[in-house]
Amino acid sequence: MQRSIELVGIPTVVVTVEPEETRQARPPRALSPRGFVAGHSLGRPGDAALQRRILMDALGLLVSEPRPGEVIERDYGPSPVTAPGTR
Amino acid sequence: MADPGPPKPLELSRYCVPFTPFRGKLEELSVCLVSTAAVRAKDDTPFDTEGDVTWRVISGEAGAKDLRYDDTHYDHACVDRDMNCVFPIDRLRELAVEGRIAGLTARHFSLGYSQALRELRERTIPALVHEVDRERPGAVLLTGG
Repeated sequence: MQRSIELVGIPTVVVTVEPEETRQARPPRALSPRGFVAGHSLGRPGDAALQRRILMDALGLLVSEPRPGEVIERDYGPSPVTAPGTR
Repeated sequence: MADPGPPKPLELSRYCVPFTPFRGKLEELSVCLVSTAAVRAKDDTPFDTEGDVTWRVISGEAGAKDLRYDDTHYDHACVDRDMNCVFPIDRLRELAVEGRIAGLTARHFSLGYSQALRELRERTIPALVHEVDRERPGAVLLTGG
């Protein structure tokens, strides 16, 4: 999907919680909050500050040095869900 | 001019990374959200959680409180309280009000869960990309579940 959108000439950035899977798909731009799980891409519910930070970091990849095919992993504190087997 | 419809999918080696440079400033950026988290307007047709190759259009005027999800595949602890966890439409609007981005497109999009990869690749995604292109976004932000 992301690659298809780039092919029509629109820049894209993905926020992913599955960095290995996304890396295999060779994304044009990708940000992965380290340790976050599916359903929590932008962080905790009601934590607007964290959501904004992740959002601005993702949009920031548009104006950063290009690293196509890579997934940029960053730490944003503990995973929103810490109990195992919650997916 | 008549709308030519979606073009045929282009075959591309997976080793090749399509990359469109972003030219300009974030302050001039109009963002389109595209999600695979099965998000929809609360009065729109629900996704089939067993498999669905259709998409839903979400108005740029919508707030997170106007949205629902139809999913059985990701953790719902966050989205049950705040749809911005997977579809940050309120946060984007705040950034626009503050002038950190220019705004949001009139339409945003969400797909549901599907394992029908061939159908997605050959029909759904080309048609959806065509609709995204019609929004003329400065960039697209993609989110999963």
